[in-house]
Amino acid sequence: MDEFVKFINSGVLAPFKRWGTKWSLWPVHLVTACCGAEFAHAFACGYDGERIGALSYGIARQTNLIIVEGAITRKMAKVLRITWEQMPDPKFVIVMGACGLNGGIFWNGYNLVKPSEVVPVDFFIPGCPPTPEALLRGIRQLQKKLETGDAESSADFYDLKLKKGKLPKFLPKSPKKISVNPCIVIDRRREVDWETGKKLLESFKVLKVENMVITAKNRIALRVSADRIREVASELRKMGFDHVKSVNVIDLPAEGKFIVEYHISSYSIREFMPVILNLFAEIPRAKPEVDSLSDIFPSADYMEREMQDLFGVVFRGNPWKGKFLLAPDTPENPLRKDFKLQEEVYVGD
Amino acid sequence: MEMLDALMQIFKSNMLEIPAIQPIVDPLMQIPWLNLLVALLLWRPFFAIVVMPGLLVLMICLLYIIWFERKLTARIQWRVGPLEVFRPLRGAIQALADGLRYFFQESIVHKEAHRPYFVQLPILAFIPVLLPIAFIPAGNVVGIKTPYAIPLIVAFLSLIPITVVAIGWASNSRFAFIGSVREALMYVAYEIPFIIAVISMIYLYGSADPYVAVEKQSIPGALLNPVAFLVFIISMLMATSRLPFEIPEADQEIAFGPFVEYSGMLFGLVMVLAYEKLYIMSLLFTILFLGGWSGPQLAILGDLNAPLWLVIKTLIVISVLVIVRSMYARFRIDQALRIGFSWLLAFAIIALAIGVVLGYEGGI
Repeated sequence: MDEFVKFINSGVLAPFKRWGTKWSLWPVHLVTACCGAEFAHAFACGYDGERIGALSYGIARQTNLIIVEGAITRKMAKVLRITWEQMPDPKFVIVMGACGLNGGIFWNGYNLVKPSEVVPVDFFIPGCPPTPEALLRGIRQLQKKLETGDAESSADFYDLKLKKGKLPKFLPKSPKKISVNPCIVIDRRREVDWETGKKLLESFKVLKVENMVITAKNRIALRVSADRIREVASELRKMGFDHVKSVNVIDLPAEGKFIVEYHISSYSIREFMPVILNLFAEIPRAKPEVDSLSDIFPSADYMEREMQDLFGVVFRGNPWKGKFLLAPDTPENPLRKDFKLQEEVYVGD
Repeated sequence: MEMLDALMQIFKSNMLEIPAIQPIVDPLMQIPWLNLLVALLLWRPFFAIVVMPGLLVLMICLLYIIWFERKLTARIQWRVGPLEVFRPLRGAIQALADGLRYFFQESIVHKEAHRPYFVQLPILAFIPVLLPIAFIPAGNVVGIKTPYAIPLIVAFLSLIPITVVAIGWASNSRFAFIGSVREALMYVAYEIPFIIAVISMIYLYGSADPYVAVEKQSIPGALLNPVAFLVFIISMLMATSRLPFEIPEADQEIAFGPFVEYSGMLFGLVMVLAYEKLYIMSLLFTILFLGGWSGPQLAILGDLNAPLWLVIKTLIVISVLVIVRSMYARFRIDQALRIGFSWLLAFAIIALAIGVVLGYEGGI
C-alpha cells in the first residue's frame, strides 16, 4: 500500500495529480467570525474565486481545502480537527485573519487556541479582516506551492532595528494591566425627577433592605445581606417584578469579596416595565456561596450557571454542576481577576 | 488466422460508409493488422456503443454539461465562472481537472459503512445507466437492433433509483438515510407519470420501435402530443434531480443525501450518475418528441449524419434543462410529491387519452 501511495505521489502519474489538485481546490469554510463576509465577497461577483477553479463547498468529505475564518475557541478547535480528519488525503489548510494567526483582538484570551496548534496550516493570510484580493492571493500561493513543491511568502518583511534600553514608542502597552484596588460603588445616589421612583421607594420600605437608592431614572439599587436575598426576591415577585434580566458577578480581590447582582424587571405591570431593580449582595471571596433565585425567577437559571462557570460562585439550590458554556478542558474560573493568563511578551521587552 | 478472417468478414459486412474519411480508410485497410482495428472501429454496433452516441460522446457530454452548468450559473450571477484552468477554451476542461483530483484523492470507507456494498454499489449503479446505450439507435448505427427498444430503455432507467437507495443504505449515516427516503418518495412520484407519458407516445406511433417512431414524425411528436411533452420534461427534471426538484441530494440541508459519505474516486462515480441518466433520458426524449435522427442530410458524411443529428438535438435539450437549474429555487418534498401525484398524474392521463385517440388503429 505504501508503494502505491509513493507511486501516486512521485511516479509517472504525479504531474496529472498535481495539475488536477492545483486547479480544483474546493474550500470548506469554517466561519467563526466576520472574515466569513470577506470570504463570501471573494466568491461572489467582482472577484469570483471560481475563476481559478475554487468552488466553495459545504461538505468536508468531498473537498480538499479548509479556510479557517476567525478566532478558534477551545470548542471550535475540536470541530476544526474533526473536519480536517474527515477530509480525504491531499488536504490543505489556509487560515485568514488576525484572530486565527495570533489571537487578534482576543489575544492572550483564556479560551483561545491557535489553529496551527490543532492542524498543519499551509498559509496564513494576515489582515483584520483580509481583503478578498488577499484571500484569492492565498489560494494562488497554494496553487504555486502545489506546482513547485515549496511554499513562499508573497509579502516582504522589513527588519525592525530596535534600540537597546528604552522601549520603542509604537509598541502597545500590555493589556494585562489590572487595577489593584478598583473602586466599585453600585448604590450611588443621584437626584432625578422621577415620581414613580419615589412612590416605589415608599412601597419598598416593608422589605427592610440595608440600603435603597435611586441611581438614575428608572433605576433603583437595593443592597441586601447575602442570607436575606431569597426573602427579598420573593417579596419583589409578589409585587409584580416577574423576571430577571441578567445575573452579574463583580470580583474585588483587594477587598476579598464578590458582588452578586440580579437585574429584575417586569413584563406584567405596565408602569414597572421600564424600571430595572438592581438587587445585589456581597459575599466573601473565601467562601463564594449564595442562594439561587432560579426557582423564583426561572430566567435566572442559565445566567447563574454561566456565572458558576466563569467565577466559581456556587448558587445553592441550582441543580447544575460542572461546565455549562465552556469546553470541559477550559481552566477553572477564567474571569476571576487573579486568573493566570498565558505569558506572552512583546518583541521590545 | 482463419478466425481473424472470419472476424474481418463480420466487421466488413456491416461497416460505416462515410465518404469524407474514405481516402484515409482505404489505405489503412491494406495494412495487415491495423485493418482489423479500423474495421472494428467502423463496425456499426461497435461504433454505436463505444463512439457515437455511446461512451465517447457520453464522456464529452459530461464535460460539457458540468462546464456549461457552472458557466451559465456564473453568468446569471454576474460572475465569470471557471476560466483560468485553460483560457483558450474559456475553462472548458474544468470538469477534467475536478475529475483528476477526485481520481487521485483518498477514498475513505468509514467504520459504520456496510463495506462490500459501499464499495461495489457505485460501480453496480453503472450497469443500468450504461446498458440503454446498447439499444439506442441512430439511423443505421445501432448496437442491438430490437423493436422493443423504448420499453427496454424505460425499464433500465427505472432500475437506477434502486441502486441510489441501496447506496444510501450502505452508507449507514443519518443524512444518507434521509436522502434515500427522499429518493424513494420522489421515485414513486415521477415514475408513474413518466411511464404513462412514454406509453401514450407508443400508442400514438402504434409501435415501441424507435425506427417506426422516428419515421412517423413528419410533424415532431412534441406538437402531436404537447401534454405528454410537458409531462416528460417535468418528470425528467425530477428523475435527474435537477434544481427545482433537487430534493434527494439537497446539499444545503442534507449534504448530498445518499452520497454524503463518499469521497475520492467513488464520489466521482456517483456524482456523474445523475448526469448520465440525464443524457440517456434526453436521447429518449429526442427520439420520442423531436424527430430523433431525422434532419437535413449531407451526402459527404454518409452514415454519420444520423448519429450527428441525434447528438446535436440531445445537447440542445440538455442545455435547455441546465438553464432551468440555474434559475429556480428548490421545492419542498411535500410540494414536489403533491405535484407528482396530482396534476402531473392528471396531465399524464390526458396525454394517454390523446395518444389513444390519435393513434387509433395502428398509429398515426
